[in-house]
Amino acid sequence: MTETEMILNAAREQNRKTLSEFESARLLAAFGIPTVKGILAQNLEEVKKAAEGIGYPVVLKLCSPEVSHKTESGLVALDLRDEADLELAFRRINGSSPVKDADYLVQEMVKGGRELVVGMVRDPQFGPCVMFGLGGIFTEVLGDVTFRPAPLDESDAMEMLMEIRGNKILGAVRGMEAVDLDSLVQCLMAMGKIGTAHEEIQAIDVNPLIVKGSSPVAVDALVILNTSS
Amino acid sequence: MIRKLDSFFEPRSVTVIGATSGRHKPGNDILLNIAANGYSGELYLVNPKGGEIMGKKVHCSIGDLPEGIDLAVIILPAIQNPQAIRECAVRGINAIVLAAGGFSEVDEEGRLLQAELEAVVKETGVRVIGPNTSGVTSTPFNFTSSFFPLGRIPRGHISYIAQTGNFATHTMRYIATGEHYGVARVVGIGNKVDVDESDVLEYYATDPETEAIFVYLESLKSPRRFLETARETTRRKPIIMLKGGSTEGGSHAAGAHTAALASDDRIIDGALKQAGIARIYKYSHLILAAKALSAMPLPKGNRVSFLAPSGAMLVAMTDMCQKYWNLKVPALEESGRRRLQEISPPYIRMRNPVDIWPSAIVHGIEFAYREGMEAVLKDSHIDAVVPILMITDETGVPDLQFIVDLARRYPEKPIYATFSAEKKHMEAAKAFLEPRGVPTFPMIEEPFEVLSVLAQCRKYMDRG
Repeated sequence: MTETEMILNAAREQNRKTLSEFESARLLAAFGIPTVKGILAQNLEEVKKAAEGIGYPVVLKLCSPEVSHKTESGLVALDLRDEADLELAFRRINGSSPVKDADYLVQEMVKGGRELVVGMVRDPQFGPCVMFGLGGIFTEVLGDVTFRPAPLDESDAMEMLMEIRGNKILGAVRGMEAVDLDSLVQCLMAMGKIGTAHEEIQAIDVNPLIVKGSSPVAVDALVILNTSS
Repeated sequence: MIRKLDSFFEPRSVTVIGATSGRHKPGNDILLNIAANGYSGELYLVNPKGGEIMGKKVHCSIGDLPEGIDLAVIILPAIQNPQAIRECAVRGINAIVLAAGGFSEVDEEGRLLQAELEAVVKETGVRVIGPNTSGVTSTPFNFTSSFFPLGRIPRGHISYIAQTGNFATHTMRYIATGEHYGVARVVGIGNKVDVDESDVLEYYATDPETEAIFVYLESLKSPRRFLETARETTRRKPIIMLKGGSTEGGSHAAGAHTAALASDDRIIDGALKQAGIARIYKYSHLILAAKALSAMPLPKGNRVSFLAPSGAMLVAMTDMCQKYWNLKVPALEESGRRRLQEISPPYIRMRNPVDIWPSAIVHGIEFAYREGMEAVLKDSHIDAVVPILMITDETGVPDLQFIVDLARRYPEKPIYATFSAEKKHMEAAKAFLEPRGVPTFPMIEEPFEVLSVLAQCRKYMDRG
């Protein structure tokens, strides 16, 4: 059994509608999508150890398939510089958590001036469709996104990159390097492959996909399962 | 099993079930259409009253027909359709057009009736177009099943797939009477109990009579198959589509950004791009782009030159080319620019787009447009030329044969004529130019809009 199948089976057995962020990231990584370094921890001791392993600064998030909209609920702490920062954040998140015994996800703090979004949705008519666009807050605010039915070939993916209104963001702007387009193309094609290979996945959000230097890295991921099948 | 639609497009024999001598009824208008188009195959009429219509014997029942007729057109009330299909199948008829409405498009009763039709189609194995459609037109075979009074439908190399009968009824009436181009095949697929848009597209894809495919659809029955066929076809033949209405949506997973953004329109947009189908947003472009493609080759690219008698038109059209139409108005080669300068008074510096008025004042309208058009047609930076013709009693009424001659001498570059003129001269110019192979457009944006669509088709074709 592949890692992806193990993740999906576990979720199915528990009758879950979503994968946790950690599971989602592992699934993406299994398809070759670059994901941010992250370690799952269950208590403060493990959280500290994970942060040392990754190296400061880090991000601390509550990690549970039952909790979405983590940022809005105060369950994410960014750019923690040292152990004192980390411990404070841990206690705050622990206090706000709606779930008992949830896991914690310690991640590398990825900095980049550009946030993109990549997604997949299963359309009732066209089947799995891949999305690409501007990420982070701009996804909702501008809706500058484009779709293609999966599977994608390289030219489909390249056309998507060039098609968004804000495509200049992929070039060398404001002293930033041009984005590695091949790597982005591979991400989009991989999303299509996930969609065609796993019918039980209804939708995927990778938002943001942060451009670190020139390389896109998935920093947050959400996999929604098709509960009807 | 590969199931061909030949019996619909090239029937050697046809029966009209529900034929009538009552004027202005569908069962009579279809007979007039079949006669007007010169159908030369065997025609059999069925009506329980028997007798004769237009000098032809009428069979009292389907059971009285000879074996093995290629195509039946059933023009009977909805409720009688399932039984009629069964009886046709018994007579060995394998292709049927169902004209009647009154199925799933109206009410629950109609929906049940349509379900019964579907069951009968499965059980008998016949192929059915419809119900709720005027069916098939095929000019190479001089045949139409349309029950809307049409007269003779002009033959050409454009084929249409339409959601309903619209293209084989009043829109065809307009094309036949108001334009100078013809069609090869037209199908209104109606409620799609059997034959759907993908079946028809597959037929057109390999049909030697069809050089370009125009589609008006509100829904896709087999979207993946349609797109896969289109992606293959658009390497060789342009496909242009107007998507009407909205399709089923709202069942996307809640809670994901991707799902929230996945509107029908965005997904269809991406799907059509992937398939190489040029999407249009105006019904009139189903006619205007067809006219352009009938007369002229697909442009090699999106670089346009146009000649206008007014600075305002030069400015406004250049703005719109860049802003809305994805068309380039490039600088000319030096030789082309020099030629324009030669035919113009020295006080004006000539370039693309071409201000033709100063030259017209000095040398006359005909000379100015003729020499100006030739200069840009010769230019390797230019893919298509739009003359905006000024024709009034006072400024002169040129003999437009020069445009026909230029079109023949530069056959690889489309010329689309439009006007800034008196209506009577526009109409006369259209009546002169179009039968001679130069399409005209009454409104000055239209040739550019059409060029924009066709340049997109070229791009899809070139991506291989």
